[in-house]
Amino acid sequence: MSAIIEIKNVTKEFKVLNRREGLKGSLMDLFSRDYKTVRAVDNISMNVEQGEIVGYLGPNGAGKSTTIKMMTGVLKPTSGEILVSGNVPYQNRTQNAQQIGVVFGQRTQLWWALPLIESFRILKDIYCISDADYDGMLELYQSLVDIEPLLHKPVRQMSLGQRTLSDILAAFLHNPKIVFLDEPTIGLDVSMKAKIRTLIHALNQQKKTTVILTTHDMGDVDALCRRIVIIDKGKMLYDNDTEHLKRFFGAYRTLKIRVGGNLKEQAAEIEKRLPDCAVSADDEWISVLVNEEKRKVMDVLTQLQKDFRIRDMQLEEIATEDVIKKIYEEGVE
Amino acid sequence: MSLRKYLTLTRAGIIEALQFRLSAVVMVIGNLLYLIVVYFLWKAIYASAGTDIVNGMTFADTLIYLVLATALYGFMEMYAVWEIGRAIQSGKIVLDLLKPIEYRSYLFWSYSGSFVVNFFSTFLPTFIAVCLVTHGAVPLGFNLIYFALSVVMAVIINYSIDFIVGTICLFTESIWGINIMKQVVVLLLSGATIPLAFFPDTLRGIVYYLPFQSIYNAPLTLLLNGSPTVQSVLPVLSMQLFWCIVMTLLSKLFWKASLRQITVNGG
Repeated sequence: MSAIIEIKNVTKEFKVLNRREGLKGSLMDLFSRDYKTVRAVDNISMNVEQGEIVGYLGPNGAGKSTTIKMMTGVLKPTSGEILVSGNVPYQNRTQNAQQIGVVFGQRTQLWWALPLIESFRILKDIYCISDADYDGMLELYQSLVDIEPLLHKPVRQMSLGQRTLSDILAAFLHNPKIVFLDEPTIGLDVSMKAKIRTLIHALNQQKKTTVILTTHDMGDVDALCRRIVIIDKGKMLYDNDTEHLKRFFGAYRTLKIRVGGNLKEQAAEIEKRLPDCAVSADDEWISVLVNEEKRKVMDVLTQLQKDFRIRDMQLEEIATEDVIKKIYEEGVE
Repeated sequence: MSLRKYLTLTRAGIIEALQFRLSAVVMVIGNLLYLIVVYFLWKAIYASAGTDIVNGMTFADTLIYLVLATALYGFMEMYAVWEIGRAIQSGKIVLDLLKPIEYRSYLFWSYSGSFVVNFFSTFLPTFIAVCLVTHGAVPLGFNLIYFALSVVMAVIINYSIDFIVGTICLFTESIWGINIMKQVVVLLLSGATIPLAFFPDTLRGIVYYLPFQSIYNAPLTLLLNGSPTVQSVLPVLSMQLFWCIVMTLLSKLFWKASLRQITVNGG
């Protein structure tokens, strides 16, 4: 199988005016030529195969959206090469548009005042979808989610969840090879999230659509992605499957204990004694993240028992979320 | 290139415009108030002039011209400057750019639906009313065909100017002031608020060579000319065609520059 997206040593820099403070500074800024260069994406390379779902993760401001915008052709890379199904996106934007679908969780591409079905009809004409393909797609949608009540509802009257669902359906309508989903589950309730994950999974399976998914919700990643790419400050930190991620970062387990007294203070106390473990406290539990390659959980427990009166304990296997959090905070050693 | 891509946007625009019934009513009331002001203002001007004919136009001539100009304004005016400015500021432009249609055409055809609706809801009723009230002061003959041709070009020129001003917002990062300036310049120099006959000679000479008069003055001149001849029609239409081409090319150029700005610096 050949790669549908090829990214080679891509860097994106923005020129930003150095703003000064105060009234005088603002006036001086009017004539300022003092720019600084901000590197949003720094030498990233990856290949994505047809039909993959790739989770593209990173903390806020890591450069995720910038990368997506470059893949869609809205931004031109400062250096490096991007090929999306054989096209250079920013050069053949209109051509590229036929091949891709986009959902930006915060905005909608639907016609605000019109019922959803009208938006679909417009998209059908704009993307030159044949009647047969269009009907087939609507039938598929009908079998996956109950769209009938949505079709005749004006988009502005929809709840956020319904709108996001509709936007995802709209992005898949012209059967694109690649769909970019930028935080599609942001702000949605649990059941809607589940619905949307099922929908994305089904469409990916049925249509072999490649999906690039950015999200902050590890539930999305666990449910959908076999492969994840993590970037931070524009640099690629990790690119491999989710299974490997856990092994790669050692055998982490979370030891949760309950002790007497103020949990915050106790947690700080514990942290002093266990410098190689991450310690945090919530209202009920103190959590100690233990890397079993360095130190056994039992050792930690024994040590803690000497100094603290442990009333209760739990042991949790590492969740993707914790690993990612660790990567965001500390990077890859 | 299939026309269907574009006509579907017209259709959507029509449906969209019809959703907002109340705004149509408010617009008619607003126009009516404006016309009342115009009536009394020009009545005063003619009264103080002391003659029936000022600058070659009678009071009735002036009033018919201005009423039709207002109706034309109600039909052609678009808010593309706002649309582009806001799309750029909010980042919505990214979604528009990812449609398989070039943005300039996309926006134009998205607006075309409201042209159709406004034509039937504002211009046509006003036109019929003027015809009935003035008992045939507006000639109905070949001039209507020239007028129709002229209006199409006027719409294109008007859109191009709006589009150019809209792209400038990308660099100024503010919309309001620029939009107001554009509106004042266009409405004054196009002859939409004051007939060009009332302009001082030198100014009229300059305005004649600017694109703005092709938007309101040209179609209205053709409409009110009851005995069109080749000598009177051809220069007006060819001047419009010239500006049509020039402004379209210019707007393309401006768009290219803006697009570079957007794709290089993220807008």
